Amino acid sequence: MDYEFTEKQKRLRRAIEQFSDSEIASKASILDQYEKGTVGELMKERFIKLAQAGYLSIGHDISYGGTDLDLVSQCIVYEAIAKACASTALSVFASVGLVGSSLKLFGTDVQKEQFLPGLLNGSLIGCFGYSENDAGSDILNIGTTARKVRDKWVINGIKDLVTNAPIADLFIVLSLNGKGSGPGEETKAMTFFILPKGTDGLRVEDSIDTLGFRGSPLGKVHLENCEVEESFILGKGEERGLDQVTRILDFAMIMMSSLCVGISMGCLEEAVIRAKTRKAFGNTIGSYQEVGFKLADMFTYSDLGRLLTQRAAVAMESNEKEARMLASCAKVFTSEGATKIASWALQIFGGHGYIKGESVERFYRDAKLGEIAFGTPEVLRTSIIAKDILDRFSN
Amino acid sequence: MDFSFTDEQKMFRDTVYRYAKEEIAPLSEEADLKSEFSFEIWEKLGAMGLLGLPIPEEYGGQGADIVTCCLAGEALGHAGVDSGMTMSLGAHIYLCAMNIYYNGTEEQKKKYLPDLASGRWIGCMGLTEPEAGSDAAAIRTTAVKRGDKYILNGSKTFITNAPVSDVMVVYANLSKARKREGITAFILEKGQRGLSTGKPFHKMGHRASCTSEIFMEDVEVSKENCLGGEGNGWRMALESVEWDRSTLASPGIGSLLYSLELCAKHANTRIAFNRPIKEFQAIQHKIADIKICLEVCKLAVYRVAASKDNGIRLNPLQAAVTKLYMGDVGFERASDAVQIFGGYGLMHEYPVERYLRDAKLVSIGGGSSEVMKLILSRMLLNQ
Repeated sequence: MDYEFTEKQKRLRRAIEQFSDSEIASKASILDQYEKGTVGELMKERFIKLAQAGYLSIGHDISYGGTDLDLVSQCIVYEAIAKACASTALSVFASVGLVGSSLKLFGTDVQKEQFLPGLLNGSLIGCFGYSENDAGSDILNIGTTARKVRDKWVINGIKDLVTNAPIADLFIVLSLNGKGSGPGEETKAMTFFILPKGTDGLRVEDSIDTLGFRGSPLGKVHLENCEVEESFILGKGEERGLDQVTRILDFAMIMMSSLCVGISMGCLEEAVIRAKTRKAFGNTIGSYQEVGFKLADMFTYSDLGRLLTQRAAVAMESNEKEARMLASCAKVFTSEGATKIASWALQIFGGHGYIKGESVERFYRDAKLGEIAFGTPEVLRTSIIAKDILDRFSN
Repeated sequence: MDFSFTDEQKMFRDTVYRYAKEEIAPLSEEADLKSEFSFEIWEKLGAMGLLGLPIPEEYGGQGADIVTCCLAGEALGHAGVDSGMTMSLGAHIYLCAMNIYYNGTEEQKKKYLPDLASGRWIGCMGLTEPEAGSDAAAIRTTAVKRGDKYILNGSKTFITNAPVSDVMVVYANLSKARKREGITAFILEKGQRGLSTGKPFHKMGHRASCTSEIFMEDVEVSKENCLGGEGNGWRMALESVEWDRSTLASPGIGSLLYSLELCAKHANTRIAFNRPIKEFQAIQHKIADIKICLEVCKLAVYRVAASKDNGIRLNPLQAAVTKLYMGDVGFERASDAVQIFGGYGLMHEYPVERYLRDAKLVSIGGGSSEVMKLILSRMLLNQ
């Protein structure tokens, strides 16, 4: 039993933290200002920067230009990038994490060869279209359909809130395939399609401005009679879309947890500096328990959140039975933790924390997404965590 | 990063669990109700070698690693053994016996450890005083050197096991002027002239554990019974409380797990509005929260245990984080468990009632949550 990082992981952590501090943090504020015309270009440049330093390709096979890192190491990287700039971390994850992992786990060799190298060197950016206007937590309720017409598939639908869509070259979309007809047929009823930008009928609606993660381009993807070949189906036509999306989301829960820990750490560091330098009533404010004790709580929730995320990562990698449960626990804990921590941090800054341009103001807005994307605490608590336990102890 | 237990460790946990479930847990309800230390339970714990688990075999113990010790604690809690008894066990092993093991001379170890390990002698540790709790360095018990003896005067309070102890590790100050540099530990034996204990306190929880004052009136301690050397007491006390904040908390993990099982079974069977209450999200939410708390506490405690086993004896920050979370959030979850049981949760026959009363201690004993936050905030601000 050993809770310490390996030497390799420690080195990675030092390196990525230094890199993020010097190369990623400086653009966080600008990205957050969301200039509609330029935010996409800035984010593409972030991808190239990370690719050049070798951090874009993490978690993938070296034969496609990847850097084969274990899940805990991937958590280290995402935490560090998120601490510097959460928007960058999310966009990168959507591309190499969601799209990249879909190809890695389910793609044919041809598909991997065609798309992975580009995704991993930053020349291609991917986006993952699964949720829709009427299907967020209730993913089974998607309305996007794919009909087989002669030897082609015709896809119709609208994917909403798709990270990277405005700058994407590659679109992975989840669609109903008309095969499922009754209960138990759900796993057969969905298919993932890989669509390159420029596919006839594929159109991205303008960027969406949001509360936080404003630097991460977001868009609606319209699919209007998109006609595609059979080879555009992700994988060997197994059409196990629901299984696939569930597995990807398990992975996403863990990486999003790391993003939340990163945001938490960013808040903690800023708040500590503030507490040591800001004076009131003749003393530095850290000496007052109302401030000092908040710092202690922030540390506790960040530290334990990271630990729980690491536990989930190891469980996932070793295919433990409790992996999904642990990933869900980590997601709930770290996301609710980040929201609390960001709120405490802003409070410690007082009026100054309320001003645009101050990091904690951005962290506060960014943090909230953690409780929403890739699994809400409402669904995770009831449908995964409690359900598992209640089933185990039913009579 | 490896979170797994060895097969041996898992097997041991199962063995302790089954033994405790059958032999010990059934005695818990009565022990709590009577608020009496149960010698019967103590003997059963001793029979399984649980009273000397980490003590090396050469001194009569089982030589178990700390992770294994935590597993045993967890198993006892999971089996439903009363928290008072597991706390008595914890204080006896970690606060008394391990203190002697880490800091004692060979003679002291040979003299005290074997009978402590078997449970024939019961140990306790006296640091807290009526005027010195969180501010432990402000203890007033004095030790005056006279020839080759020390004369101790003072009193301790809230001492777990004191009324039934045979061996006591007590902290006194040799020199007020030197403040915490004067604090020194001594080994006292029951029956020494001038040494007495008070009437056991009637407590909110951990009732089967007997807790009282220790009174010292010109107690003569030979120099052979100075533990760890003059002026080393503060350092030893700090290490001691770290056990409070980690390994002693392991039965609490078991209690959380036991509560979770009880709540899940109850939610499956209790009907309200024509359906089992497990179908209501308000109940699911609490069950999920208890599970999350359990997973976090497990990681926090075993992180400290594994670190000790891997050669890092002191882990003050991680111990503080563990204690803070387990104390504050653990209490909230214990309250959630009672809530799931509704009216029944308020009745003594239901274990969750006892657990809520027991859970309150964790944010107070062995270092209050406020002190944990002091430790953490100081660390952060001094970086």
